[in-house]
Amino acid sequence: MPLKGVTLDMDDLVRHVCDLAKRRGADFADARAVRRHGESVLVQDGRADKLAASADCGIGVRVLVGRAWGFASADSLQRRRAEQCVDDAIALAKASEAVVTDPARMAAVEAVEAEDRTEPEVPPGAMPVAEKIDRLLQYERAGRAAASDGHQIVNAIVSYAQAWREETLANTAGTLLRSAGSRAVATTLFVASDGEILQRGTEQRGIVGGAELLRRVQPEPFSVRAARKAVAALDAKPAPAGRFTVLFHPSITGLLVHEALGHNAEADSVWAGESILEGRLGEEIASPAVSVWDDSTLPGQFGSFAYDSEGTPGRRRPLIQEGRLVAYLHSLETAAKFDADPTGSARAESYDCRPLVRMSNTFLAPAGADTGVPLAEMMRGIDRGVYLEDGHWGYVFVQKGQFICHAGQAHMIEDGEIGEPLRDVSISSLTLDVLKNIDAVGEDFEMEMPGMCGKDGQSAPTDCGGPHVRVRDVVVGGHHTL
Amino acid sequence: MTEEDLNYLDLAQACVTRADDAGAEWCDVVAGTARDISVAIEKSGIKSADAGRGEEVAIRAYVGGGMGYAAVTGRDRKTIDEAVDRAVALAKEATDDPDFRRLPPPQPRPEVEGIFDDAVAGLSVEQVVRIAVANIEAARAVEPEAILSGSVALSVGRGALASSTGVALESRATEISARISALLRRDGDTGYFYEFDFGRNLADCRLETVSVAAVEGARRFLGARRIGSGRRTLVLGPLAAYGFLGRLVAAAGAESIQRGRSFLCGKEGEPIADACLTLVDDGLVPRGVRSGAHDGEGTARRPLTVIHQGCLAGLLHNSYTAGKAGTESTGHGTHAGGIRPTNLRPALGDCPADELLAEVEDGIYLESGEIRPDPASGDISASIDFGFLLKGGERVHPVESAMLGGNVFDLLQRLDAVSSDAREEPGILMPTLRIRDVQIAGAE
Repeated sequence: MPLKGVTLDMDDLVRHVCDLAKRRGADFADARAVRRHGESVLVQDGRADKLAASADCGIGVRVLVGRAWGFASADSLQRRRAEQCVDDAIALAKASEAVVTDPARMAAVEAVEAEDRTEPEVPPGAMPVAEKIDRLLQYERAGRAAASDGHQIVNAIVSYAQAWREETLANTAGTLLRSAGSRAVATTLFVASDGEILQRGTEQRGIVGGAELLRRVQPEPFSVRAARKAVAALDAKPAPAGRFTVLFHPSITGLLVHEALGHNAEADSVWAGESILEGRLGEEIASPAVSVWDDSTLPGQFGSFAYDSEGTPGRRRPLIQEGRLVAYLHSLETAAKFDADPTGSARAESYDCRPLVRMSNTFLAPAGADTGVPLAEMMRGIDRGVYLEDGHWGYVFVQKGQFICHAGQAHMIEDGEIGEPLRDVSISSLTLDVLKNIDAVGEDFEMEMPGMCGKDGQSAPTDCGGPHVRVRDVVVGGHHTL
Repeated sequence: MTEEDLNYLDLAQACVTRADDAGAEWCDVVAGTARDISVAIEKSGIKSADAGRGEEVAIRAYVGGGMGYAAVTGRDRKTIDEAVDRAVALAKEATDDPDFRRLPPPQPRPEVEGIFDDAVAGLSVEQVVRIAVANIEAARAVEPEAILSGSVALSVGRGALASSTGVALESRATEISARISALLRRDGDTGYFYEFDFGRNLADCRLETVSVAAVEGARRFLGARRIGSGRRTLVLGPLAAYGFLGRLVAAAGAESIQRGRSFLCGKEGEPIADACLTLVDDGLVPRGVRSGAHDGEGTARRPLTVIHQGCLAGLLHNSYTAGKAGTESTGHGTHAGGIRPTNLRPALGDCPADELLAEVEDGIYLESGEIRPDPASGDISASIDFGFLLKGGERVHPVESAMLGGNVFDLLQRLDAVSSDAREEPGILMPTLRIRDVQIAGAE
């Protein structure tokens, strides 16, 4: 169901909308016209269970009238509906202008006229559905075969989803930006049983691209790994409860910097007075071994993009350098309010959403050869601790600086050696405590945590990662005290 | 044709006919529209006013039991026709599924009062802004330093469902909500909490004062301190209890049990909790926020006792899982093929929440927080997001950096009381739960 035609009609439409908004009194306006289509294939227990497709298009119009924002959207690219959005957005702004106490502002916008079209290696529709099904069934068969006893796998799901998006952005400063590209995600879940308990193993891969993902991803690090994790977890014990020195696998390091730091560094939260990083620019908030970056320019990485939803080029931006907080992530509005440079961090899920300040690919930088601590040495420094692996999910309350990260796998560390396997477990701490309690950073690096980050009802593709790190005094939410 | 006069039932039925012609053996189609208004509050002021309007058509087709699904927005007939054809083509590509029996037939439709409210549908943007401003002013009156964030939002929708079995249903619904968080920073200390109110009818809500409850919560959470690890009594306040029970009912969805991936596998008819727990899912409660006459497949809703005196009494079915199990759908199907709970209504106990707390010598009161058991193992490892230390029946202080752990069955079997009083939101009952001997991990 690919939608046809993109550029000229959408160019004219968004330009027309911005001109109209200006004529009708908007001090600033931007318009985003979007066409999307996607498909998903789900294979479960040897059968192609659910095949789905979707398509949508629409326009979102944002206006600044005096002190207030208005935003209106419609699921149509018809001129009449778009013009109605202009009227609605202006009416919405006027309805709230009298009660706005924190006047909206925008950084000076440099007009951009550009095209960013990232074609996937396998164009949408080029790989037949049957081939995708075959590939997913191969993953499932490989996973089942790899489980030490095939009967232990009671349920296996392998799914693939791809979304293609074409977007044209214009604003009253003269920007006209056309972008097009797709993302693809493959996910697998294996559930193992020993007759008494069930355990899960999951893996996910995602790229900026298309069905080439299914050619690149081999079964071994994907479905085979997930199946083995599920089976191995059957023999794992519940984690202990209490405060421990903890070793983070890069996937957990990624969750940590995304949840604990990244969300707090989003300048809309800072401006709202909600982030614990408010007023801390230039302060040492982490161990000197810690440097954290957000980088939307990494080729093919799941959180990458060339321009954000306001037309600002994406970039590599430091958040923490050698322990010192050096920057927040900015939209055009927060950049104006903080008198800072926009960082290309304003992202909108689709045409019907306002841009929010968001992360892209966020990571803790690996240590250099002179300061990096090898994994074995990190472990040697732990008498009794926990090694957390297989980052799953997390969330944060930026207001309190309190976060949680969930690990799909773990191991005890006893006397500097890896110990018995532990089941999935969560950890919790305060951002400003945990960043200072990082006392060793590895030279290694991995960033393979593609996911959809949620904020204010919108989701954005992001990735996160880093090296192994060692952290003191982390609360582990286990089942028993030692 | 204007936005308002499109007949979605006609559209859905036309899509069903097209799908039949294209080779679908079974097919159902939903078509509808929704209009939304949202006013955002940030930094204790109005941040933005947003509005959106959209239409969607979703087609589900079956060939040999294999399912194809396609969804499109807008009303362009060519695009919709292409979506119908695509759904049928995908169904032909899907693997045959002998477990698929049939889509639901037409059936008597129960009456559910109070799902659509003209008062909500008629609210203007200015009126929604006034509700948001009223919250800001009410909070300022009790705590000028509080930093508020959140939104006041409404949604008005109508739509239709038609199927190849002859189902032809139309419905409309409204929903309005205020969701507000309050933050207090005082001498290096932080108090933070959020509150909400929602409903399908304006008269069921007190939207203008949600911020006051949030501020009072933020005050309660000033002065958080670390605690040591140990086994303690855990009291789940109404919000925390609702979240926990919601996860439990979701786990009783028949799909995950039939697939063998749920911690509730093999537990039907078995005791899984203390006998004080009885839990009903009822999608027919008048004015309920999760109420409706039928589910997403056209099956009439009905109350379902999921847990009866501690025993797993019933599973949530859609038409697929019911066909596979040789039983009737319980009316919990979604159009996309999933299973979703409706209004949760636990049976109330004998003692009010205050008395349950007063009996706790050493415990944690979890006012709000996510307790999400692993869907397969049932293991729990959760943060005590908004909790207090209880000593001698009193709340001593809020706790920070604390967690709880265990297995869902441990917690359910150690449940020793459900309160006789409950927070009530339209359709939903949220009592307090008390659980003995739970592992708490602290940072001290």
